[in-house]
Amino acid sequence: MKIVKKILPLTLIWLISFVNAFAQGTSPDFLRSTGKIYAVVVVIVLIFLGIVAFLWRLDNKLTKLENQINNEQ
Amino acid sequence: MIKGLWWKLLGVALFIYVLIGGMLVPLKSGITSVSPSQAAAGSSVSLEIMGYNTHFATSKDNKMWLKLDSVHLLEASKVDVVSENIAKAHFDLPDTFPTVESVPILTLVLDNTIDGGFVSPNAVFVGKKDSTDTVSSTATWIDGSKITFHKSEGIKFPYRSILNETIRNTFFHVALWFAMFVLLIIGLINALLYLSTRNMDYDIISASYNRIAIMYGVLGIVTGSIWAKYTWDSFWTTDVKLNMSAIAMLIYLAYLVLRGSTTDIDRRAKISAAYSIFAFAALIPLIFVIPRMTESLHPGNGGNPALGGEDLDNTLRLFFYPSIIALIILGLWMSKLLTRYQRIKEKIMIKNA
Repeated sequence: MKIVKKILPLTLIWLISFVNAFAQGTSPDFLRSTGKIYAVVVVIVLIFLGIVAFLWRLDNKLTKLENQINNEQ
Repeated sequence: MIKGLWWKLLGVALFIYVLIGGMLVPLKSGITSVSPSQAAAGSSVSLEIMGYNTHFATSKDNKMWLKLDSVHLLEASKVDVVSENIAKAHFDLPDTFPTVESVPILTLVLDNTIDGGFVSPNAVFVGKKDSTDTVSSTATWIDGSKITFHKSEGIKFPYRSILNETIRNTFFHVALWFAMFVLLIIGLINALLYLSTRNMDYDIISASYNRIAIMYGVLGIVTGSIWAKYTWDSFWTTDVKLNMSAIAMLIYLAYLVLRGSTTDIDRRAKISAAYSIFAFAALIPLIFVIPRMTESLHPGNGGNPALGGEDLDNTLRLFFYPSIIALIILGLWMSKLLTRYQRIKEKIMIKNA
């Protein structure tokens, strides 16, 4: 769990730099190709990631609660 | 409140409908570029037209006009189709134009059997007559109302230059903000209910709705930023609506900080209920009033209301409203999960105390 917590911010930074690279770096026109449809794809993926982040946090919270209950018994 | 499974399934079904329909419905035909964009009066000009989602080759009866106003249209003398998306149109421009403007601006009007009629506004700027040019003609202007255009078959989203396919983001980015607003209203009602009844359960419900609404708001800003990069060419612009919504989100983020700052449950409930009323009161002018008072890149700002006329046509509404409903239901679902988690946590804490 601790490793995951360390990896998560790194993954986020990597993702952001990835988007940045698309926007400014080597292939600036990929997201603009086919009528900028990939900009829509990125938006949908971000919303999905938001929901996943919610699930992730709820998962962690419930695990804590479970541990709390199990320790009492 | 709402019982059972049906509303969750409805939300998921609506979201899938929006994802599939919103991605698969094609855009209407449009023109990406017309070159040259300038021509001299009295000259013979051949325009190279690059289309998007056009069917020049497969459709029959490609016709093109240069339109000065609704009663003055000039038909192309010849249309050469290069490929589905490229065509060349030849026009013999007249020496004089029936307008007072020194530089008449012509709109390109196109029509064929598959794409129907569509236009490329302000396609050609006409300069003064070139004296060396020998071609001289008196134009035969056509009245626009006498032309019958073909109808394009099926549902299609409007084509807008610059926006292109990203017009589909209306279903995701814009709908997120609408859903956020509904969730915040539910959170506000529960905060008011807490203040009037002092029932701790209302505080838990209010906080859950506000949390999910804040998540939607943050997602709204991030998705808007991506959209801006590919239409306004910058992740963040000085647009009022951007900065005001960022301020609104910061006010709401402070709400989360406030809730985390005290362990006294009663005090936390009172302070956060009062604060959420303040935050909501600040949100209205920040998002709805101030952006309308100044110029804004967002549609529907700078005076005129959004969702009217050109900004949101009926084909977009077909997916935009279901998308709002879907996101609201998903938000309700997530908020309910948070509420249930918080209730259990609170129960355990009371039991342990």
